[in-house]
Amino acid sequence: MILYQDVSLVYPNGVHALTDVNLSVARAEFLFLVGSTGQGKSSLLRCVYREIRPTSGDVMVDEQLLSRLPHSKVPALRRKVGVVFQDFKLLNQKTVWENVAYALQVTGASSRDVMRRVPRILELVGIAHKSKMFPQELSGGEQQRTAIARALVNNPLILLCDEPTGNLDPETSSEIMALLARINAKGTTVVVATHNQAIVDRMRRRVVRLINGRIAHDEERGRYHVGLG
Amino acid sequence: MLDWGRVKFFWGEVAQNFTRNVTMTLTAIGTVAVSIVVLGAFLFAREAFDNVMRSVVGQVVVAAYLKDGVPLPRIAAIVTELRADPRIDSVRYVSKSQALSDLRHRLRGQVDLGLINQNPLPNAVIVHTRDPAEVPGVADGLRERPEIEVVNYHSTTFQKMVRMEAVLSIIGLGIVALLLAATALIIYNTIRLTIFARQREINIMQLVGATRWTIRWPFVLEGTLSGVIGAGVGLCALWIAYRAVEPKIVVNLPFLPLNLTSVPVGHLAFELLITGAIVGMLASLISVSRVLQAA
Repeated sequence: MILYQDVSLVYPNGVHALTDVNLSVARAEFLFLVGSTGQGKSSLLRCVYREIRPTSGDVMVDEQLLSRLPHSKVPALRRKVGVVFQDFKLLNQKTVWENVAYALQVTGASSRDVMRRVPRILELVGIAHKSKMFPQELSGGEQQRTAIARALVNNPLILLCDEPTGNLDPETSSEIMALLARINAKGTTVVVATHNQAIVDRMRRRVVRLINGRIAHDEERGRYHVGLG
Repeated sequence: MLDWGRVKFFWGEVAQNFTRNVTMTLTAIGTVAVSIVVLGAFLFAREAFDNVMRSVVGQVVVAAYLKDGVPLPRIAAIVTELRADPRIDSVRYVSKSQALSDLRHRLRGQVDLGLINQNPLPNAVIVHTRDPAEVPGVADGLRERPEIEVVNYHSTTFQKMVRMEAVLSIIGLGIVALLLAATALIIYNTIRLTIFARQREINIMQLVGATRWTIRWPFVLEGTLSGVIGAGVGLCALWIAYRAVEPKIVVNLPFLPLNLTSVPVGHLAFELLITGAIVGMLASLISVSRVLQAA
């Protein structure tokens, strides 16, 4: 589903974010990207939805080479790849419903489609009862559920989560991860970049550790501290 | 084909932004309104001033004084020929007795014309052209007629007035151009700031898969609407000011041939409304495109 081939990334300020990364993520796989801050986790994710382009190497998403993807096709790529951020990135002027509906409306979905799919997805993430509220009226966990609903409403093949529990308490974090596991069970590929050791250790999924922009370890059913010696 | 679902979505976004970003919306509308008031007031004043200049220059007539002894049927034939000239608006024959009577009337109480026992004034034809620029040509034509003794239209004064009208018109046009550029820049900067304040929002729209035009359209429509509403508010303020000031100008400056009712107010209002709409639309389009490019 996602393939990194010799991917290196150097930012304009000279920082080497990624170096010769080779990684393959299968369809419907659940993968944790771990590593301390500044090791390249977010950069690796940002290459998938073409927010940044590697300096060398290539990224393939759903058998599509991103280096050959014209700029006009990037929105279509982003509808296949749902993204959840640590700071939620919700539109503050829109309600929960409108935030989720917006991701659908920009694809040209009909009003009937919006009316049918938005309640379902809000129900799935457990935020339907707050659909008329604005993001600033919600708790961190509720905002993250809204962000997940928005990422899922277009039935993406891949769900990328960049520190999804970074701003949440342990209980809410567990709920969010349980939700991501349910989504993965329905066939969506889920990649989670995280610092949250407890969650990684409890879920025992594939763990990839990045150190200085290189893949240091890659282990099925791994733990947070695998490969640290 | 027009996709009504998309149109509804775009206008829904515009309505949402108008009602939920009230401060920014009011800032944009207010700026457009104030700019349009300044521009509109100047355009109105320029139009009124041009009218004054046109009216002053338009009062110039050509007086052709006939030689003594030209028979009346010949004079009638000359008047008929002149009336057939497309450059000429009106022709009036003033007989020497009529001229003396007019002079007596004008100088009544100042000079005693009873001492004159002979009428020294000639018969005359007074010609008024359709366009003041035709005055010299018509005067030259009259001079070539053998029946005409002297042709007078105060040519030096007339040419100075025409030159002054042209110079003032060019200066006015220059000021309009500068004012228009300043208005456009002020509106553009305000709308640019309101859009830059929503940069984060635009980035999120891109992240969820919105195409550039899906993001642009609501902003462009919003900018156009702000421009039209702002211009409308500005025009209302101008209309109220005009109604309040116009009677006072007429009473206090009676010596000026200001014919304010002849200013094409409707036409000016339409131009200002279109200016507001176009500047609002372009300002939004350029600003949102810049944010999208930077993303």
